Amino acid sequence: MDFSADHIGFVIASYALSFIFLAGLIITTLGRDRKLRAEAERLDTQRKKARA
Amino acid sequence: MQFLANPTRFLKIANAVLPYVWAITIALFAVGLYGALVTAPPDYQQGETVRIMYVHVPAAWMALFVYTVMALASAVAAIFRHPLADVAAKTAAPIGAVFCFLSLATGSLWGKPMWGAWWVWDARLTSMFVLMLLYIGYMAIWAAIEEPHRAAMVARVVALVGFINIPIVKFSVDWWNTLHQPASVFRADGPTIAGPMLWPLLVMGLAYSFLFLALHLTAMRAEIAARKIRQIQIAEIGER
Repeated sequence: MDFSADHIGFVIASYALSFIFLAGLIITTLGRDRKLRAEAERLDTQRKKARA
Repeated sequence: MQFLANPTRFLKIANAVLPYVWAITIALFAVGLYGALVTAPPDYQQGETVRIMYVHVPAAWMALFVYTVMALASAVAAIFRHPLADVAAKTAAPIGAVFCFLSLATGSLWGKPMWGAWWVWDARLTSMFVLMLLYIGYMAIWAAIEEPHRAAMVARVVALVGFINIPIVKFSVDWWNTLHQPASVFRADGPTIAGPMLWPLLVMGLAYSFLFLALHLTAMRAEIAARKIRQIQIAEIGER
């Protein structure tokens, strides 16, 4: 890729934007998954203990 | 399909396949980006700007595909009462919305140097904008209606009615005289793109597809956990 080419800023901006949004989506999705599964596990264990 | 109706069985399968799906996604992105940024030649007219195609086109393909998944899942939920179909539709929407936004944004970044305008109200761009609004509307329904069964019923209607926009987006470049170029990959007479430019595009398309699969399975797993939490909390209130 020629970094001195015309309009190269638009190319870099496109890849940067895609990276930022896709990385954000991945982090948000994995974070929500981890948080909710831990919470479900905690409540389930708490409930089982209370019943016992 | 009924095989996956049991959330426990679905979680078992999702947990087993997810590490492999993530690994394939990373490998496909590595190969696709190498092809897009290193081996693919610049276009004789567009120059280096053509490289925007490798992030713009897969995002646009996925925006259409994800909405199709949402509509199919909504139809399955409405007809067969499949317990995970609404979960599949609901969790696909934010992922599809990001793909749709990226398609519009990177398209705009390509349009400015090539057309001399950030945006034109031609049929392809306008129908993609409508798709973005459909994604936002669909997610707003789930956010606004607290009772999940009611939210699911309204969301199904939006997903199914909005599906009419998908063939409009796809064929807009054939039905109307648009500034946006016609299809150059999925054509009856074969792709019109040269091989050295085509393979990185197809690999990037596969990378985006696997990324969607990985994110969708993860988001579905999280949504199942969220519903379990809700059930436990409701049961606790009932026990008091």
